[in-house]
Amino acid sequence: MTAWIQRRLASRYRISTQLLLGIWGAVALTVAAGLVGWFSFNRVGDEQSRVNEGSVPELAAAFGVADYSSTLVAAAPRLTTAPTLEDVARVAISIDEAYAALEAQLAVLERGAAEDERVQRIRAHADSLIANIEAIEADMAYFFDLTERSAALRLELADLRFRLDSVVIPAIDDQFFYAMTGYRTLGEPPAPRNEHFSETEFSSYRRLAEMQADASIAEQLLASASILSEPALLEALRERFEAAARRIQRNLAALESDELRAEVAPVFDLLLNLGIGDETGFDLLATELELVARQRDLLASNQEITVDLIAEVNSLVSAAQASVEEATGASTQAIFTGRVLLLAISAVSVTGAVLIAWLFVGRFISSRLQRLSDWMRRLAGGDLETTVELSGRDEIAEMAAALEVFRQHALEIQRLNLVEKLANELQSKNDQLETALGDLQRAQDQIVSQQKLAALGELTAGVAHEIKNPLNFVKNFSEVSEELIDELKEVLDEEAESISEDQREYIDEIAGDLTDNLGRIRSHGDRANHIVHDMLMMGRGSGDRQSTDINRLLDEHARLAYHSARATDTEFQLDLKQDMDPEVGELEVVPQDLGRVFLNMVSNACYATDEKRRSGADADGERYFPTLWLATRRGAEHIEVRIKDNGMGMPDDIIDKIFNPFFTTKPTDQGTGLGLAISSDIVRQHGGNIRVESEPGEGTEMIIELPLEPPAAALAGAGDGDGAATEATSL
Amino acid sequence: MVEPAGESGVSDDRILFGQSAAFRGPAQELGLNMRLGILAAFQEANEQGGVHGRRIDLTWLDDSYEPEAAATNTLDLINEQEVFALIGAVGTPTSRSATPVAKAAGVPYIGPFTGAEFLRDATTLDNVINMRASYYQETEEMVNRLTTDLGVTRIAVLYQDDSYGLAGFNGVRLALERRGMEMAALGIYTRNTTAVKRALLDLRQGDPEAVIIIGAYQPVAAMIAWGRQTGFDPIFMTVSFVGSNALAEELGEGGVGVFVTQVVPFPTDDSLPVVRAYHRALANHDPNAIPGFVSFEGYLAGRLAIAGLERCGREVSRACLFESFRSAEPYDIEGFRLHYGAGDNQGSDQVFLTVLGPDANYHPAATLRDVPG
Repeated sequence: MTAWIQRRLASRYRISTQLLLGIWGAVALTVAAGLVGWFSFNRVGDEQSRVNEGSVPELAAAFGVADYSSTLVAAAPRLTTAPTLEDVARVAISIDEAYAALEAQLAVLERGAAEDERVQRIRAHADSLIANIEAIEADMAYFFDLTERSAALRLELADLRFRLDSVVIPAIDDQFFYAMTGYRTLGEPPAPRNEHFSETEFSSYRRLAEMQADASIAEQLLASASILSEPALLEALRERFEAAARRIQRNLAALESDELRAEVAPVFDLLLNLGIGDETGFDLLATELELVARQRDLLASNQEITVDLIAEVNSLVSAAQASVEEATGASTQAIFTGRVLLLAISAVSVTGAVLIAWLFVGRFISSRLQRLSDWMRRLAGGDLETTVELSGRDEIAEMAAALEVFRQHALEIQRLNLVEKLANELQSKNDQLETALGDLQRAQDQIVSQQKLAALGELTAGVAHEIKNPLNFVKNFSEVSEELIDELKEVLDEEAESISEDQREYIDEIAGDLTDNLGRIRSHGDRANHIVHDMLMMGRGSGDRQSTDINRLLDEHARLAYHSARATDTEFQLDLKQDMDPEVGELEVVPQDLGRVFLNMVSNACYATDEKRRSGADADGERYFPTLWLATRRGAEHIEVRIKDNGMGMPDDIIDKIFNPFFTTKPTDQGTGLGLAISSDIVRQHGGNIRVESEPGEGTEMIIELPLEPPAAALAGAGDGDGAATEATSL
Repeated sequence: MVEPAGESGVSDDRILFGQSAAFRGPAQELGLNMRLGILAAFQEANEQGGVHGRRIDLTWLDDSYEPEAAATNTLDLINEQEVFALIGAVGTPTSRSATPVAKAAGVPYIGPFTGAEFLRDATTLDNVINMRASYYQETEEMVNRLTTDLGVTRIAVLYQDDSYGLAGFNGVRLALERRGMEMAALGIYTRNTTAVKRALLDLRQGDPEAVIIIGAYQPVAAMIAWGRQTGFDPIFMTVSFVGSNALAEELGEGGVGVFVTQVVPFPTDDSLPVVRAYHRALANHDPNAIPGFVSFEGYLAGRLAIAGLERCGREVSRACLFESFRSAEPYDIEGFRLHYGAGDNQGSDQVFLTVLGPDANYHPAATLRDVPG
């Protein structure tokens, strides 16, 4: 089987064909899974919409009806307890809103199941509930009116009590007083006794007193009625009030005095009218109690209706719930079926994918690609010798052929690269050899030059020593000769008279010339002696090392050099600028030697600047002022002393020679040409070196570097130098 | 500076007092004049920078001399308007209904215009601070004068049928009992009426030499007028509460010889420094105001309240005010001295005798023999 497949696959285009086949198989499986899913969701959706369109709105509406009817029932008592008409209106608005919502929910219910008896019963209950509330609402304006009027009644009653006191009591008082004394009005005389002390007057007094008592009773009855809450008792109070009213009217009619009647009648009329008049007193109170009772009944009825209504709604809700549950069951079934189908198709898809991967990708493509990859890795590792070969005619075989071409090319390139690399290496070795040769030649030159200098040094010291003795003879004998000439002059003075004036003048002239000549011999002998001394100084240290403050040493010798220059030329001036680093501190050096170095260099600087001044450097307009900069710096391993001037400067060819002995640019009588040679020698003995930086016409800078720790070799060298000098001196 | 938290009616810059009194109805003269005197005293203090930097203000409500209104007004003043103290209440029945409310809230009840004995019981009503002498003291002084000045033996009483009248009646009864005397006759009339004639008949029965009347000015005037009309003319005496000036006006010329006991010095006697101070304050407050007994009492009550507050300093509290009225140190209001102490909540024990002259004006009377005309 596998062999057959491999055979089938061995022909070209079969990879892409097989891939297409695999993809189409996967697509077909996916489409099948999608269809199953679609089918299942459709069924679930159908069940769901059955619930959504049918049971859910019904359920919601039923709950809504229950909810809004409770709201209505709860709102109704708020109507009756509202303190003002405005509050009633406010409650009424909220009732209307609840009512409208209730109507909407009822409409939903009726649309769903108009023929359902339950819905019809709910509608009937809701209608009577609403009718009740409307009845209560309609009564409220009347109720407030009644409340207001009964409040007014209580106020009038309080006022009446006061008027009864202030009218009836004085009337009784006056009547009794009149009957007893005959006085009626203040300031008038009394009536005759038979007139006032009569049965008539006492009878009037009695009627007034009775009326006062009855009025008091009637007023109390009315007051009691106004706070009554039981309508049944009201009639009993009314009955007794009417009896008192009849007694008052009887007594009032029986009053003999019209005047007296006119005085008290209005207040009694007021009382009777207040109690038993139309739409006031007991009538008013009865109506108010009736209304309150009616509202109470309506509220109670509301409660009952609501109980029924909610029972109906509950049954409706149960039915709707059952329907929802049924639909939910069907949905669940559909979901289960869909799930099983999807699982099956997924299993088939996975198996197909595994087969494709194992048979095609694994067995055929992958193993061939692996071989190709191995070859590539070997090529990359440098093995260009193994031939790449793969049977078949598919894309992988083509890649193998291409790789073989690459391999052959790479082999060729490798060979070419090797040749080029060898040529380059040869060239680089050549270059190195040439450089080494150059270095070697320079070193050789240096050695020769140093040997020359050393030989010159030795020669110089030897010559100097040899010349020093004859010079001493020259000097000593010239001095003796001068003394001899002085003695000669004394002898001549003693023998003056023996010599003629002319002879005398001639001898004096010769003696003067001799003395002058001897002076010149001595002066030039001194000069020669000085040169010899300098020559002997070369190459030897003149003291012991000791800890020395370099800054101070530099400062002292710079000043010394400056003052020497001033001593020979009073016009000379120098601007001395110092930039000393206090970190430089003290160093183990031979102070006399190093001081000489500084003295030499500063003297040179003075000379160079003075030369520049003399050559008229400020002729071009700018004022030239000789300036000297002294600077010290402390580095990590050595210190640096810089002595810079703005003098004439030097060209490079001069710089190369300045450390050679006897080289000088100064006139013959101003320098020995040994200063810098000695300086160089001293600095080298201290393990340091001197660098020169100069620009012709601009100035020169001498840079002296001295190691912080003097090397052992330098110390030893210094010792050798001393030895050599001692040896030279002894010669 | 922040005041110690929460003394009602005391703010950073003022102290509020409340007054419930009759500003309408038959007793309005009393309420209006008490208020006038208090306001004059407060304005005087405020113009001098107040009490330790605080202005003293008064708010008031009308109770028309009705006990129910007095109680509700007092509640309102304490709870709604949050007054620091109550001052210048008018009347015995009104005070009787107002004091329980004030006591329950612990609010000072200063200078009520009444001499009722129950307000003088410092152990039960520890929040009441009386300024004036009691009815007992007034009636005692009347009986004392009648018996010592004139040797009268037959004394009758006419009183208004309420707690005020009863207080006066009891005062007379006790004064007579102390002297082993019997009351010659007794008359009663209904409150808020002028129906006094039956009482007049009752009094005549006893043939008294003197009648002590405890009532309001209208019925008292009616009583005296009718008595004199009908030939019943004993010595008529009445107490300060009658409303002296209103009584004089009501009686006119017919009031000659009626004696009225007063609890404040004679208000036009400007030989006294306190009277001069009162005149100045009153004229400053209302240039048209005429000095009188009631406004003078109001002024003294106002001054007393201010003096109590002065003793507290800046840290004003009700407790501190009570404390300053329990100390034995007397108050001296420009020569008018008031004594308080533990168990004594009444400042003045002084009773002053006045008599109506033919000019319908009061005159100070040293004895009952000083009958004008």
